[in-house]
Amino acid sequence: MSELANIQKWLTSIIVKPGSINDKIIMADQHYGLRHTEVIKPAPNFSSGEKIGIYARGYVLRLMECMSAEYPALQHLLGKELFETFVKAYLVHSPPSSPDLYNLGANFAAFLKASQPKNADSNMFDLPVEVTLLERAIAEVSRCKGLEGTSQETETDDTVLYLFNTSTIRSSPCLMLLKLQFPLAGFVRSVQRGEEATTPLTGESFTAISRKDYIIHMHDMETWQWQFLKALQDTNDYMSAINSTADVCGMANSTVMADLMLWIPVALKFGYIYRDDNQVN
Amino acid sequence: MNTPDSKRLGLPNLGLGVGLRSKHFVHLMQNDPVVDWFEIISENYMNNFGYARHVLAHVAGLRPIVMHGVSMSIGSTDSLNLDYLRQLKELADEVKPVWISDHLCWTGVAHLNTHDLLPLPLTLESLHHVAERVNRVQDILQRPLILENPSTYMEFEASSLHEWEFMTELVAKTGCGLLLDVNNVFVSGHNHNFDPEFYIRNIPHKAVVQIHIAGPTDCDQYYLDTHDQPVPTPVWHLYRLAQELTGGVSTLLEWDANIPEYPDLVAEVNKAREVLLGNFPDVPVYRTRLADQVSNPVDHQMQTTHE
Repeated sequence: MSELANIQKWLTSIIVKPGSINDKIIMADQHYGLRHTEVIKPAPNFSSGEKIGIYARGYVLRLMECMSAEYPALQHLLGKELFETFVKAYLVHSPPSSPDLYNLGANFAAFLKASQPKNADSNMFDLPVEVTLLERAIAEVSRCKGLEGTSQETETDDTVLYLFNTSTIRSSPCLMLLKLQFPLAGFVRSVQRGEEATTPLTGESFTAISRKDYIIHMHDMETWQWQFLKALQDTNDYMSAINSTADVCGMANSTVMADLMLWIPVALKFGYIYRDDNQVN
Repeated sequence: MNTPDSKRLGLPNLGLGVGLRSKHFVHLMQNDPVVDWFEIISENYMNNFGYARHVLAHVAGLRPIVMHGVSMSIGSTDSLNLDYLRQLKELADEVKPVWISDHLCWTGVAHLNTHDLLPLPLTLESLHHVAERVNRVQDILQRPLILENPSTYMEFEASSLHEWEFMTELVAKTGCGLLLDVNNVFVSGHNHNFDPEFYIRNIPHKAVVQIHIAGPTDCDQYYLDTHDQPVPTPVWHLYRLAQELTGGVSTLLEWDANIPEYPDLVAEVNKAREVLLGNFPDVPVYRTRLADQVSNPVDHQMQTTHE
């Protein structure tokens, strides 16, 4: 191994590993056969270890700020101290490897889930996991390829022509669907807006998140609406989605079709679905 | 050797610019940008097809764009990340930046990325290593790479070159351009007890394509590159010196935390005009004893768009 490669591995290990800076330096010195006082120039009142500590401390603070930016509702729920405890543990468990900072928080929900106490008799431990899932979904929806700027971007209009040509209705490429144990859309939205956010009580929730005209929309939906979007996402076929929804929800096909007539304009408005006018019938 | 013999590598002086930041997106979609050009953080747009990309397309229709990266890790001993470079080139093909820059640093090794700009031992081994990688990157991007001097908080005993010597040799070996961050020279000069004016006088001025200015923080024992304050008077003096020596190059104000409203940001970068006339703002280096200051803040990249 070249001297440069050895020094880079030595410093990276000090920066990303947990523990006190002195302990980390001692371990790295031993592992890589270096003496930090012979690698880093000291100053009269500033030791080699203190200089390395600037980088080690900055690493955690910098990534902590990124996680706070992506998960404000989770931080609100847990409080700053507990949130930071989990983030620090997460950074040890999954140090960043991607040049893209958005990949940093990708596995945070799974990490929180795995950290739950075994045999927990309350689903309250799932609340922070599900808040994390929803905030991650919002981040992904905000950055994915959408319909804006394409010929498939659906203009909001007052016509009902779509009711006579439903074969062109598709789920949005931005649509994400979450089945949760808590109704979280209002809670997360309140935190985003800086409003008073009451911790939600348990209650099965069917949440949809999507984007239209670069604006994120999310709602807790009725079961049949969520099932319809899920089926449309899976089958890409309007009539199949109706049949599937009716089957799963124990509704008559005609009832689903009638309810859709009222709801489709809303789903179009919020970008959950769109009319694929380029579709050749 | 591929020493550039034309001023600024033939690249234009774009005037006064600021970083494109999400805090100002709504303002910029509704108002004239006022400044001459914008610099984007490349990684913030490489896998982002949301509102930020839309704003970028709008702004790029009005003003020149420069792409400034933080994750090329040109000094790392890991293999070059060819997937990253492919995405960078794809973005460049779409944005058509006037140039592409990154830092003389490494961000991690063994496939880890600290998202920090880590310093290199300034040795001949490092010089040959970086030069070889710069040449490969320039071949991939099909344009000269512009490299910025980072702020540093430690020096290596093994270093046999000063940073200005390393940069000079690198330019000579690769034909790359320089992004001279005069605030970083100021910060590193304070931290390592060298004369920042001497540094600036001893780099190849014809290779300087761009200048960064920013406000650092005095953390008592060291200066930190926090990008969260107005530019202090000593940095303005270095800026004027650099402009005199280079004959005039593009100027970019970096402000990445505690970001002011857009008109205030523009007012700050416009101080550069007065500085070139010899009128220096009286601004001390911001001082704090708080231990939670962050160098190279990146959380401004994480903003999402909500209802």
